[in-house]
Parts: sequence; C-alpha cells; structure tokens
Amino acid sequence: MPGANDPGSIFDPQLLSRCISCGFCLPACPTYALTGDETSSPRGRITLMRALDSGTLPSGDPTLAEQASFCLGCRACEPVCPAGVQYGELLEQWRGYQWTGRHRPLAVRFLIFAAERARAHRIAGRLRGAAHTPASAAASGPSLMLGCFERSLFPGVSRSTLALAPELAVPGRQGCCGALHAHNGEPERGRQLAEQLGAELPGQIVSTSGGCAAYLAGVIGRDRVTELSEYLQGKVAGQVRIGDRRARVTLQDSCHLRNGLGVWREPRALLGAVAEYVELPGAGRCCGAAGTYALVRPRDSRRVLDPKLDQIEAAGVDYVVAVNPGCLRQLRQGLRRRKSAVRAVHIADLLRLAASGGPGARE
Amino acid sequence: MLAETRIPPPVLAELRAIAGAENVRLTDGELTVYARDATPLFHGMPDAVVAPADTGQVARILRLATEHRIPVVPRGAGSNLCAGTVPLTGGIVLSTVRMNRILEVAPQEMLVRAQTGVSTQALNDAAAAHGLFYPPDPGSHTVSTIGGNVATCAGGLHGLKYGVTRNYVLGLTVALPAGEIIRTGGRLWKDVAGYDVTRLLTGSEGTLGVITEVTVALLPKPAISRTGLAYFGSLAQAGQAVSDILAAGVIPSTLEFLDRTCMDAVEQYAHLGLRSDAGALLLFGDDGDEAVLARSFERIAAACAGCGALAVQTAGDATESEALLTARRCTLPALSRLGSLTILEDASVPRPRLAEMVARIDTIAARHQVTIATFGHAGDGNLHPTCVLESAEDTEGIARAEKAFAGIFAAAIEFGGTITGEHGVGAAKLPYLEQRLGTGQLDLLRRIKAAFDPAGILNPGKLGS
Repeated sequence: MPGANDPGSIFDPQLLSRCISCGFCLPACPTYALTGDETSSPRGRITLMRALDSGTLPSGDPTLAEQASFCLGCRACEPVCPAGVQYGELLEQWRGYQWTGRHRPLAVRFLIFAAERARAHRIAGRLRGAAHTPASAAASGPSLMLGCFERSLFPGVSRSTLALAPELAVPGRQGCCGALHAHNGEPERGRQLAEQLGAELPGQIVSTSGGCAAYLAGVIGRDRVTELSEYLQGKVAGQVRIGDRRARVTLQDSCHLRNGLGVWREPRALLGAVAEYVELPGAGRCCGAAGTYALVRPRDSRRVLDPKLDQIEAAGVDYVVAVNPGCLRQLRQGLRRRKSAVRAVHIADLLRLAASGGPGARE
Repeated sequence: MLAETRIPPPVLAELRAIAGAENVRLTDGELTVYARDATPLFHGMPDAVVAPADTGQVARILRLATEHRIPVVPRGAGSNLCAGTVPLTGGIVLSTVRMNRILEVAPQEMLVRAQTGVSTQALNDAAAAHGLFYPPDPGSHTVSTIGGNVATCAGGLHGLKYGVTRNYVLGLTVALPAGEIIRTGGRLWKDVAGYDVTRLLTGSEGTLGVITEVTVALLPKPAISRTGLAYFGSLAQAGQAVSDILAAGVIPSTLEFLDRTCMDAVEQYAHLGLRSDAGALLLFGDDGDEAVLARSFERIAAACAGCGALAVQTAGDATESEALLTARRCTLPALSRLGSLTILEDASVPRPRLAEMVARIDTIAARHQVTIATFGHAGDGNLHPTCVLESAEDTEGIARAEKAFAGIFAAAIEFGGTITGEHGVGAAKLPYLEQRLGTGQLDLLRRIKAAFDPAGILNPGKLGS
C-alpha cells in the first residue's frame, strides 16, 4: 500500500468539494473518449479521489492505481468546467499519495532521477550546442529558461529563440522547473525546484515549453512567466515558403499552455503571420505525450496519438508546429513511424526559418 | 420488494456471456463511480455495471434480471438531476454508452434514427450536415444521450417556440423487463394505431422499459439565430417583460432569466462583461430570416423598455450569441462556485404567475434562512430555484433547504404549476408526486408500472413505486 490512509488528509478539501458531478467534463476527456467508461472520466476520477480520501476505498484498490496512471493529466476538463474544479491540482495531490516508493512507475523513477542531475543536463546541453550567454549578461532583463531535457534533446530550440530574441539572457546555471516532479508524485519537490529556478532567473522568465511555463507560473506567479509565443507577439518577420508558395502549417496546442494558462491565440497569430495557417480539428486535444505518459503507458499514448496523426495527414500541411518539447518528440516520432511527409517542428525553429527566409527546417 | 441484490455467480457468468466479460464491471472502484449521477445527496452502490452493445443484449439482460429479481437501472451519460439513475437498491447499472451509432438520417422524411447512447450534440451534428436540426437542447446537450433525453422527456432552452423532447419522438425500440422487444410508433407524424405507447415511454425514466433506439423528427435549420439580453432592476420586472413580449405576438426561440446571484456566478466562469448593477438578466433569442428577426427583436426591445429595462443589447454575431447561450446552460455548475452543495429544483408555473412565483421564492428563502438563486426558462414558466450551501456535511442547512423546497413545491401547485418541469421525478421528487397527481392518479401509475414490469426490477424506488 502507498502510505497510511488518513481520511481527509490527502486532498485539499476545498478543491475536492468543488465538483458537483454535472458531467460537463466528459466530452473533453481523451481517456473517456477511448473507453466510454465513467471510471476513466474526470468526474469519475474525482469520485474515486473522494472515496480514497474518505476511506471508502482502501488505498491499495486497483482501480485507484489504474486511474491515477491512466489519466493523461492534460487538464482539458478544466476550461470546460463551469464549477471551476482545479483538476490538475487534484491529480498532483492524488499522485503525490498514490505514487510513493515502489508504487511509482519505473519510467517515472528513472526520469525524475535523471531530471535531478542538473550538472549533467548543463554539460549535455553545452555539448549538444544549446544556447547560452555569458553570466555577466544576466542583468535585470528577461531570461530564457532552457528546460532540463529540452536543452539537450532539442538544443536548436534555444538557439533559434536567441536568434529571434537576442536580448534574452541565457545563463547556463539553471535547473529544472519541477513540473516533472509535481505531475508524477512529488508535488513538494516540484514547488521547491520551481522556486529555486525562479531565484536563479530573476525577473521575467521566457519559456519555450508550454508545460514548464504553466507549472512555473502556478508556483512563482503568472506575471513572471511568459511563454515564447506570448513573448514574440508582433515581433516576427518573414515568410516560410515551399518553392513559390507559402508553407501550410498547423498547430498542436500544448495542453497545459492552453488549459492551464489559457494561451492558444498567440501561437496561431504568429503562425498566421509567417505562413498559411490551417486549424487542426481537435488541436486542443492531447497528443498523448503528456509528460511522462508516453513512456509510462506507451500503448495508451499511441491510442491517443493515432487519430491525431490521421488528422494531421489529412490537413494537407507541410509542418505541424509544437509549443512544447514533449509534444514535439511525440509528433515527430509518430510521423516518422508513418513515413509521413509532414514535418513536426518547434515554433521557435519555424519562426527562425521565416526570419531567415531559407527553405527546410533544421531538425 | 427485492430482498436479495447480490448477484449470484451463475448469473454473472451469463451476464458476461451476453455482453462480453470486459463489459461487465464488478470491482469496488468501478462500482463507486456509478453510485451517483449529477444529483447531490443521493447514493447507491450497484452490484455490477454492464454495458451491452445492442437491443438484443439489453433484452437478454432484462430477462435474466427478471428471472433472478435483480434491479436494473438504465443509465446514459449520468447527467440526471433527480437521482433517476442512482441504483438505490443496488443491482445492475445498465450503461448505454456503447450503443452510440447514428443509424440513419433521412432528410426527405426529416428524421434521424439513432441508438440510445448517441449524445444529443452528435445527433444534432448529424442533422446539421443535412441542413436540419433537432430543436430540444437540454443544458447538458454536449453530454447527455438521446435515449436519456427521451426517458426523461428533457426540455431545454428552446421549449417556448419548439416544445420539448416529446414533441419530436416518432418511434422507439424498447426492451421490456420480460425480454420482449417492442417497436412503438415509427416514422410518421400521423399514426393513431393503438394507445400512444411512444408518449407513455417518453418521460418514463427507465421504469417501464429500456429504450434502445429512437427515431426523432427534425426541422429545417433556420437561416439565422440571434441572441440578445436585457437588464432589469429585479427578477419580477423581467418576469413581467416575458408576459409583455408574448403579448406583443412574438414567440422567441429562447427566453431565459437569471437573478443577480446567478449572473455573478456565470460572469465568474464566462467573463462576458455582464453589468454588475442590474438585479436580473433576461436572455432572449430568435431564429428565422432577417426580416422575422428584425421584427421580433424590435418588439422584444420595446416590451423590455416598457417594463423598465436598464439596457437592451443584441449580440454582435453568432459567436457572441453562442457564448451567451453557453453561459446560460452553465448556470447550475457555475453556481457551485458559491458553495460546494447546490440543490437545484425545477418547479414550473403558468406564465402569468411567474412574477408572483419569483416573489414567493424570495419570501420562502428568507423564512428558512437559505440562499436561493433563481434562473430558468422564463418563457416556459420553468424555474430553477437553486439552494447553495457551504458543504454536503451541513445537515442542518440541508434540512432548512428541504423545508424551503417543500414550500416552493406547494406554491407551484397552488399557482396551477408542477413540481418538476423538465428534470423528472426520479428519487428526488417522488415524495412530492402525490401532492401533484393525487392518490387516484398515483395508483394508476403503479398499475401501469406493474403491467410493464410485474417483477418490479426496473429502476425501483422511482416513478411507479
């Protein structure tokens, strides 16, 4: 069993009591769409949380374990909830209880272990060529957050960002935002890391990851965090062209950026300025990357992704643009598996391409 | 009465054989989430949740349940507001979600045939592809199933001009408790062969049979829909405006009102920029062509002005109109921002008594010291007085709320109205049903129930009990 089951001690009672079970969340939930089973809906999961909290269900109940893990954590249920239930927060508290010790999925344990190796990320980021500016540059101006995995997985993103916004300071000494921890059973550690990052990067923090931006904003304050597409509003130039026509591009929203921070118009405005923008049906629906989900539940992640790939291919676009590294990785892998002609790119890379006017995005 | 609600292993084996093992849920966790619907304070653990795929499977499950005297509670999306889908005495929750196919859209006959678990929204989308629409639009139409709509005779925002679910149901396929399958009505507007069993089953709340397929009528989609709003000093003034609008010869497609408390809650969720100095809001809408709309909006605006409206505004475009309607549909859940327990009622009165009823609700709320926010379908005289309480643990507050609602029901009946306009009786309003129908009619209901379901397995503790 995960720790002792003290009724009423797992969740913030104010948050847990908010849901009135109206069911308005059902159509928004990707896992409910897969199963049609109330158990895997936001409303059903809140009922489960309540049963856990009150002791009606023992903490070792298999449905609790399954549903805490099956949930994508995409928070698509939040904007559609008229009652204002903060589901994301509740899920963090649930996993904080459910995923302790050996109950934590192996992939999550590994990732958190890796995320904690700040020095290794710094070195890997340097080796892979992520952007950085001299420490002396970090004055009071805005700084770019590199992200723990993004800096080595997609080092080009920070380089493109710096090319688009050379005024940004990019100190190498900066840690993880803590979202990974918070969403995977370590809410306290997550907050700690976010606060630490807030101290390392004083002033305005610009993030190229929708998920990190949303989490960081929740801890250190919305006023200090700006997601890249917000930051670049009105500052983009050029066109992305394929031969003699404008490139056709579509966007896959970052769930937490859209559902948590309410940012979805901004990236569309930027893309519409540099290319022919095509709205993807269900662009706001999770791609199945969902943080650690693609590693913890690869099969379910693919079930969520597949219909989206169909839609992307049917949209007749040259590029699908991501605003979060996890989504980028998920889409790129999925499209490669299909040998699709559509290319997945980060918004920073596409905008840089537009500014330089050159053909073909670097990957 | 059913003494034994535990399901014996051989019966479980048969249920698995009928619906497939993966569609029979038995674990405590899975059962817990089906122990309630959208109604607060009602709870009942089922013994199994079964999700059959078609009419034949439903019939076989019912026959088995009748044979073994196991209660069966049909459930669509579980957005019910009168505890109609709560398994009060355990048994099987029969989930219709897998029966979710549109079977046929027939534009020439202007009808759609669908399995019971299709969502109201999906049905409407299918109709829209042919330039048609299905007018009933209950607040939860994105969630609710068409079968659930028929079983509860759901209403909605279009009631005044277009009527409610019963006005559109042409035919039903229904599995009866003994396992027979009947097809009532059909594809015709005119069909008087026999008792109108279709209408009897519409609003029968899963107590007579399980609806597995529906045929509903559609209408041509109006060219334009437009919405506007008028602010008033009080809900009573808004009520008067409703009467005056109708007296002016306009039948708007939407005529909804919200009191100050509801406006605040909706504004918090939807950020529409509603005026904060008004006591009540009247949301009106109409559809048709430009000439019809221009005339009806002119008359509505004049009637509102005549009743002392503080301001009358028209939505700029379709998106703005839809935002207003969406906000109105979300009123109930939005109210829960004020307190975690919201008890919603559904009393209705004849339109001319609306203003009096609103005033009476205020008096009753004050007498019992409870916060009651009122919104509703003003054009239908259908009110949704909602009591907002701090928490579900506030037993003393709940007791006061119940007294207040008893008073509201009595007032509704005194004014020639009813205890429920569109949400249904379920378990929540069963205690008040005799007051509305009288003993003679209540008895007739029980005899009808017995004719369909002699073993009493279908949705026990609800209508017909």
